[in-house]
Amino acid sequence: MSLLVVGISDLKTSGDPSDVLITYSLGSCIGATAYDPVARVGGMIHYMLPLSQISPDKAAMRPAMFADTGVPALLSELLAMGAAKNRLIIKAVGGAQLMDHHKLFNIGERNFLILRKILWKNNMLIKASDVGGLISRTLRLELDTGRVTVKTSQGENEL
Amino acid sequence: MSVKDDLIASISSLPTVPIMANRLVLLLNDPDARPDDVSRVIQYDPALTANVLKAANSSYLGFTQPVTSLTEATVRLGTNWVFQIAVSSLIYSNLKRPAPGYGMSAEETWRHSMAVGIMAEALRDQLRLTGVATIFTAALLHDIGKIPLGEFVRDSFPALQELVTTGDASFEEAEQAILGVDHAEIGAMIAEHWRFPEAIADCIRWHHDPEKAPVITPALDLVHAADAMCIMEGLGLGRDDLHYRLCEASFERLHLSQEATERAVSRTIIELENIKETFANAPAVGAGR
Repeated sequence: MSLLVVGISDLKTSGDPSDVLITYSLGSCIGATAYDPVARVGGMIHYMLPLSQISPDKAAMRPAMFADTGVPALLSELLAMGAAKNRLIIKAVGGAQLMDHHKLFNIGERNFLILRKILWKNNMLIKASDVGGLISRTLRLELDTGRVTVKTSQGENEL
Repeated sequence: MSVKDDLIASISSLPTVPIMANRLVLLLNDPDARPDDVSRVIQYDPALTANVLKAANSSYLGFTQPVTSLTEATVRLGTNWVFQIAVSSLIYSNLKRPAPGYGMSAEETWRHSMAVGIMAEALRDQLRLTGVATIFTAALLHDIGKIPLGEFVRDSFPALQELVTTGDASFEEAEQAILGVDHAEIGAMIAEHWRFPEAIADCIRWHHDPEKAPVITPALDLVHAADAMCIMEGLGLGRDDLHYRLCEASFERLHLSQEATERAVSRTIIELENIKETFANAPAVGAGR
């Protein structure tokens, strides 16, 4: 088995059933997985911010930093590997926030909302999610089964 | 003996931070200092000079002609930049230590410190504020109290966790309630022990709760904002997770818009990765002096 670590502002895909994709320290960022159980290909993204318009030069350097450039990049990479849009199972976690009563900087919520919008435009839905709260999360995708787990300080669960 | 007394005793036996770090801070805060004064101080330390030049020649900065002297580095990259690399190098060995109870490795502690330093600088740039020496140094050192407090946090972790998950307490409020002291308070004591200017110790002391500070300065608001953004974005998270308050008043006083803040976040992640090159296997500059 090889453990492929997806860093912050990073995305990775694989068609090797022995691979496991993992990303750590998801705060307000979103970690999303997409898996096609027939083609047995899958991928993961860890993006930080919703929209690339605030910094197009950074988006050109690191498309996976933003939802609006990273998520389409992940999907097209998977389609090129033989995945079919209607078979892709999407799961997402993260979108946490600090203790902030007025949600002045609700990056987490906006990060999750933009994902749903992008997928909706592509006629896709999120199958399962675990978002919000004051906790950080670790997300894991097993390529042989498509099993997705999320780990927090409270324990580990299948999504 | 209370946890606080224990820690105060251990702080006084801490090795001192290289004297040159204080000299550089004072120099940069001195309105009469000339730009090349910083490099004139640094040049007497060969290891430090080597580190500044290594950073200046990292591929990220993309100079086709290598930078060969401190004067050249100052001209091309500016005094502030040279100062930041120099102070980071000098404090490196003090900051790259595990904070056991927080579940943070030496690597993670250092990464979070650098991230907040870079974020503070990115925000400062957006706002065109002055005072880089205080802001950067305080941002770099803001969590230094976690290193000595870590073992006490480890021993009391279940109680701390219960307070933050069932009550409305932030993590440092829980530290105060259970241990009688919090990491910001200890951090400020360390900065004082190291004889850094009071303004730096004050930023460290109140970085989670700027409203409680006797005097609220832009430097304090910036250090708070930078730390809040780094915690939120997962740049060096520990077992204390996101259990900290975001002080909206700080963001309002700084007139920090969502857009400006997000732009600073995007710059930080890129610069953080590039700075890693400079400190990968870095020798402990100035250790033990």
